[in-house]
Amino acid sequence: MLFVFGITANAQQISVSGVVKDATNGEPILGANILVKGTQNGTITNLNGEFSFSSVASNATLVIKYIGYQPIEIPIEGRKSLVIQMKEDAVTLNEVVAIGYGVVKKSDATGSLTAIKPDKLNKGMTTSAQDLLVGKVSGVVVTSGGGTPGGGATIRIRGGSSLNASNDPLIVIDGLAMDNDGIKGVANPLSTINPNDIESFTVLKDASATAIYGSRASNGVIIITTKKGDKNSKFQVTYDGSFSASSVKRKLDVMTGNQFKAYVDSVWSTKNPLITSADTLSANKIRGYLGNANTDWYNHIFQTALSHDHNLSFTGGIKNLPYRASLGYTNQDGIIKTSNFERLMGAIILNPSFFDDHLKININAKGMLVRNRFADGGALGSAAGMDPTQPVTSTDPMFASYGGYWQWRPVTGNTLATANPVGLLNQKQDISNAQDFIGSADADYKFHFLPELRAHLGVGMESSYGIQTLQEDSMALADYPFGRTGYSNQSKSNKSLNFYMQYVKDLGKHSINIMGGYEWQHFYRQEYYVYQGLDKTVYNTDLGQNVGYNYQAPPMFKTESYLVSFFGRLNYNFADKYLATVTLRDDGSSRFSPENRWGLFPSAALAWKVTEEDFMKDNSTISDLKIRLGYGVTGQQNLSGTLISNPDYAYIPVYSANISGAFYPFDSVYNATSRPDAYNKKLKWEETRTTNAGLDLGLWNNKLTASLDYYYRETVDLINVVSVPAGTNFKNVVVSNIGTLQNNGLELTINARPITTKDFSWEMSFNASYNRNIITKLTTGIGDGYYVSTGGTFQGTTQVFTVGQPAYSFWVLKQKYDSKGRPIEAGAYKDPNNQSLGKYTNLDAFVDMNGDSIIGDKDKYYFHNANPDVTLGFSSRINYKNFDFGFNLRASIGNYMYNAVQSGNLNVSKDGVWSSLGNFNNLMTSSLVGNFQGTSALTFTSDYFVQNASFLKCDNITLGYSFKKLFKVISSGRISIAVQNPFVITAYKGLDPEVYGGIDGNIYPRPLVTVLGLSLSF
Amino acid sequence: MKKNNIIFLVVVLFTMILSSCVNDLNVTPINPQQTQTFNQDEVFAKVYASYALTGQQGPAGISDIAGLDEGRFSIYRCLWNCNELASDEALCSWNDAEVVELNFNNWSSQSTITNGLYARFYFTVTICNHFMEQTVGMTDEKTLKQRAEVRFLRATAYYYLMDFFGNVPFTEVVSLTPPKQIKRADLFVYVEKELKACAATMYEPKTAPYYRLDKAAAWLLLSRLYLNAEVYTTVPASTGVTAVAGTPRWTEAALYADSVIHTSGYTLCPVFKQLFMGDNAGTIDGSQVNKAPDEIIFPIAADGIKTQAWGTSLFLIASTHATGMKPWGTTEQWAGNRARATLIKKFFVPNATGSGVNGFFSDGADLTTALTSSIKDARALFDKKSVSVNLNISTPTLFPQGFQVTKFTNIRADGGATHDPKYVDMDIPFMRAGEAYLTYAEAVTRLSSAQVGSYTALQAVNALRTRAGATQFTTLTLPNIIDEWSREFFFEGRRRMDLIRFKMYGGDTGYTWDWKANVAAGKNFPADYNIFPIPAGDLNANSNLIQNNGY
Repeated sequence: MLFVFGITANAQQISVSGVVKDATNGEPILGANILVKGTQNGTITNLNGEFSFSSVASNATLVIKYIGYQPIEIPIEGRKSLVIQMKEDAVTLNEVVAIGYGVVKKSDATGSLTAIKPDKLNKGMTTSAQDLLVGKVSGVVVTSGGGTPGGGATIRIRGGSSLNASNDPLIVIDGLAMDNDGIKGVANPLSTINPNDIESFTVLKDASATAIYGSRASNGVIIITTKKGDKNSKFQVTYDGSFSASSVKRKLDVMTGNQFKAYVDSVWSTKNPLITSADTLSANKIRGYLGNANTDWYNHIFQTALSHDHNLSFTGGIKNLPYRASLGYTNQDGIIKTSNFERLMGAIILNPSFFDDHLKININAKGMLVRNRFADGGALGSAAGMDPTQPVTSTDPMFASYGGYWQWRPVTGNTLATANPVGLLNQKQDISNAQDFIGSADADYKFHFLPELRAHLGVGMESSYGIQTLQEDSMALADYPFGRTGYSNQSKSNKSLNFYMQYVKDLGKHSINIMGGYEWQHFYRQEYYVYQGLDKTVYNTDLGQNVGYNYQAPPMFKTESYLVSFFGRLNYNFADKYLATVTLRDDGSSRFSPENRWGLFPSAALAWKVTEEDFMKDNSTISDLKIRLGYGVTGQQNLSGTLISNPDYAYIPVYSANISGAFYPFDSVYNATSRPDAYNKKLKWEETRTTNAGLDLGLWNNKLTASLDYYYRETVDLINVVSVPAGTNFKNVVVSNIGTLQNNGLELTINARPITTKDFSWEMSFNASYNRNIITKLTTGIGDGYYVSTGGTFQGTTQVFTVGQPAYSFWVLKQKYDSKGRPIEAGAYKDPNNQSLGKYTNLDAFVDMNGDSIIGDKDKYYFHNANPDVTLGFSSRINYKNFDFGFNLRASIGNYMYNAVQSGNLNVSKDGVWSSLGNFNNLMTSSLVGNFQGTSALTFTSDYFVQNASFLKCDNITLGYSFKKLFKVISSGRISIAVQNPFVITAYKGLDPEVYGGIDGNIYPRPLVTVLGLSLSF
Repeated sequence: MKKNNIIFLVVVLFTMILSSCVNDLNVTPINPQQTQTFNQDEVFAKVYASYALTGQQGPAGISDIAGLDEGRFSIYRCLWNCNELASDEALCSWNDAEVVELNFNNWSSQSTITNGLYARFYFTVTICNHFMEQTVGMTDEKTLKQRAEVRFLRATAYYYLMDFFGNVPFTEVVSLTPPKQIKRADLFVYVEKELKACAATMYEPKTAPYYRLDKAAAWLLLSRLYLNAEVYTTVPASTGVTAVAGTPRWTEAALYADSVIHTSGYTLCPVFKQLFMGDNAGTIDGSQVNKAPDEIIFPIAADGIKTQAWGTSLFLIASTHATGMKPWGTTEQWAGNRARATLIKKFFVPNATGSGVNGFFSDGADLTTALTSSIKDARALFDKKSVSVNLNISTPTLFPQGFQVTKFTNIRADGGATHDPKYVDMDIPFMRAGEAYLTYAEAVTRLSSAQVGSYTALQAVNALRTRAGATQFTTLTLPNIIDEWSREFFFEGRRRMDLIRFKMYGGDTGYTWDWKANVAAGKNFPADYNIFPIPAGDLNANSNLIQNNGY
């Protein structure tokens, strides 16, 4: 500092002026921040991009910064007039990207990784970080769970390496590895971060890149770096906001009141040959239950939902203390009435440095408050199934005790009838409130006596609490007549600590970078609930007091796990042409028994920068060419999603205590019970071995860049829930290591800027991925045709894992069709008008594959699977003067779906419309095509319901206009209009072809959203 | 100075971190809902509870088995559906897959019902095995009694597995090694041996706390085992297997039944319908009126607040009731199970048009009192919902068709209030002394003798008929007896077994009932259907298993 000061003091003072331009199109940049390095002397460019300093040291250096551009430093060198060109801040080859426990120049990376910056302009409605990844990275498929406001998404990198164990990638936010389990109203770790705070994503795909994360890295790693302030930069305020309107796009084609009435009249007509004369009275009575209304129940549960989102950020640097603070508020209504999501987020980042930058500190705090009101999920199904001839409300006194809502219960006494969907929504308040705090602090110290050596210490914690309260009217059908009230809460607290040292040394053409460290992580979680009826009290002997009717309050649920790791990495670089990386990690997890506890995860990678070779120096076409080869081993120890009650103790034999309502008497004494739970002491983690070969190419000065990767991945000891032989464990299914899965894939990413002129520029990016997997070994059973059932429908196994087939293959009976092309149903009359012809048999309906004249499991065959063969993403943006126009397209090819909505509504017979319990069920008009009469359970396992769900989807289309200098305070800004989810092209017969897992239940529809956006810089 | 401080700090931290050790990985569960210690009394209670409850929370929650709707696939509801819906007694109006399959005798190895039945019984077997392993070598009086009862409950589970599935996997230990398949006849020998061993150690009859089992339970099950001995030891011919004729054991059946009748102290409850009412635990339920405990040897407990389940008595009561019927004591009404015409005809002869039964029926009438004395029978607990109701069911999915069964209610015999408006108090009389009378009568009749014990076959049957207020039989034939089984035990979860023994079930039997094999008039189905298929899932998981014939 003193030294620097000394020079400045002795230099000559001159006046300097200049202009700052965009390097690509020559446009002047207004509002750029210009600072004389090492001083507080700074200014901002004007409308024409111009600036001036009246008195500056002639040997000073100017630091120019502008959001969205790469910062640049220009030594004045005595010049009085300067033209400064700034490059747009796309992730370029010389930029550093985050990798595990460190950063690397993109050009020096040896593994398969994709770094992207959120597309600020073309983004639609983004309430979660996951929205920014959709369709943007080859090999990454993001499937949102539906249109629920604040809902989560499933992210799969290269198709997922696991079957039943979690396939979620590891998410690392500012160096803190998150746990993947959400809490009430916070769907996943990506929901804990404000999308506007994200500086960049790095997606690590192959094992040579991810192995440094060891046992949690099999499904890839997403590293998120948040925006930071800059040293000595000027205080700046930006605002980003959006207003949006969402509406439902498609509904199930259920009958209208008039259609339904006509249909009931026809199937319950005494002219229907399936109604015998004996049934005339019943048929007349049933028809008599039809109402006179023509209610579109969907209209009463859907709404056009308005949402708004506001973000303010403050950045600047006070001497050595750069800071950034942000505040975000989101209020989003769901398209199902009553659903609402409200969130307040705040974040502060401080990154001071000390001792001439020898010690850098990074302090990061993010907080979030979320309030989520959930619409009763049953309303969608009820709206589809509720009798459309009945009114929403009725003044008939019989409905008075149901809040006036028309219900079947008082009419026919049926306690299990379809509930009035409007009542379901309005008579229930189901609200979660969650708080989440993530804090981390890093210290990076460069040793004074040995600057090549750095020590890094990081500590981090996440603490969340969520409570979901329920209040259900005593008039609500669901818990009539006592109502229901109570809450459940969850809290989690995760801590982590890591320490590593890094030594970097250049010796002539050799350069080495060695890193070694240690990490300790602790995950803790607890849950508790109390529920009871509103109206009636009963004496609870356990508590010795009066409590609400049907009182339930188990002891608190608590669980924890630890992960302890040692890791190291060696990077070697020869002449900047040949690169090698070797990593090793040793992980110990408390989720496995001491015999299986430790796992070693090595990796190695090589890269050759071809363009650095002499023979390429003069090549003007190929500006960049790198060839990469890597191999690595990673693990998977996340058992969530495996149905087991507590994944942390899956290997420990435990007994579960009983809770309310489950005591067993001897004489008058009601005894507590204790149940041995299933466990698997042999359980160990999955291990994934990946080989990756890749090529990075840049053409015409990187106007076109492309990456091509091939990978072969084998996962052994797959964790899955498997049916165990009866008598061998305390449950019929146990989580086990079941076998081996292979994945083969190809990925291509192309980024191009075909046009870059002053007024007109065009950028596009394209990615394509091919992935095919096959199960090569199953170890839990033997024999031909051994399978592990998965994701089946309630009525039987329709999806399995079996050797030689892709994971999630459909396993179904082959449907036969009649001469008119209609599916044949076992047990139905061949001709209802001539019943003497008899009924179809199982053999009439399905192909007898093994020829034994019995239709059973052995006649099922493998018919496609739920995973796409190819996924494609394409985005394009055109800038013309102040206008920008962009869109994102995404396609998925070869994915099939079991249409469970259709199979669940297949019965169009008189028994399908009228339940003997006493209620009508509305039908989809499309179900009439199948004409199923509900006479055979085998129908549910028919290939008739497995349908091609390939699709082409437009995620969003955006049009924006940028402006400069507005009023006096606004330096620049942009307004935009975007349409999200405008169209889907698919042959799939269900509502939406995009359902994770391949079984299409009734999902919360993804809305069509129109977004009005506004960004301002002050 | 600063430099040194920092180096010092780094060194200290580094040491501290590495020692903050690997020992953290040795966790023990911190979850208060789970323990690692074997609590003998609580696990013992769980063994009993496995017949009544479906998980560790009532009426559903923390399920014992996975992949199936808990309440719909409880042990009792599964065995009830298999034995009743698939027989000449009950026809359910629901469209549920397992109901349709059983109603019309068309199930397969993929059926969820067989899967549920099997998984439930093996859950019981496994926790019994665990209890036996944990208490092995313990000789205190309490443990000896508990072990005898657990063995009995395990033998009962194996008895049902043998009855339903024939050759099944067999194990007495909890081990990861897949069990071997045992032949039905060998399992018969095992159950026989076990029941005899239990009978030696269990409580003397009527000395156990209520809901715990005594010797009489073992005797009664032994008599049932012997009564069906011929069926269980028969090996039908199939590919590569030569037929083996079964060995009848009528004498032992009669002797064990006689022990229940004359030695156990259990007697017939004077009022038949009290057996199936909300206060059928008698004084335990605070009822001075209900004498059901005189007769109930094995009650499956239910309580409106403390022992809640969807799949036991609540299922029986709710599934047989709907609006328009006389009060049944719970708000639940599922309008499902009702009598096939064949069952009604066991009591009454319909008139020529078949539209009524001798004109005695009016809406909501109590058939047991509305009848003329000549065919009055207190066991005819039927009802019909309206004038239009005919005993013949033309459309199986219409609940008002067919006669309703009013046998099971949550009404108390003493008129008092039950514990809960929804969840019921009625216990299931899973095994009751009444069975011994008919077993005795049948066994003795099959021996073509008048008596084996101190009692004639006619006396035994007439004891039941007298209690019911029905006319006395003067002669006794096997056709009388199979019908009497229905009159005494209809809808109590055993009919299929009796029909098989009388060769009136699968195969070319010459006996049909309405809607048998999905034909209104009834038709035969293959004899292979006398046993159910081993579920596809276990056949897949355990390579030791061979599927039963015909599946």
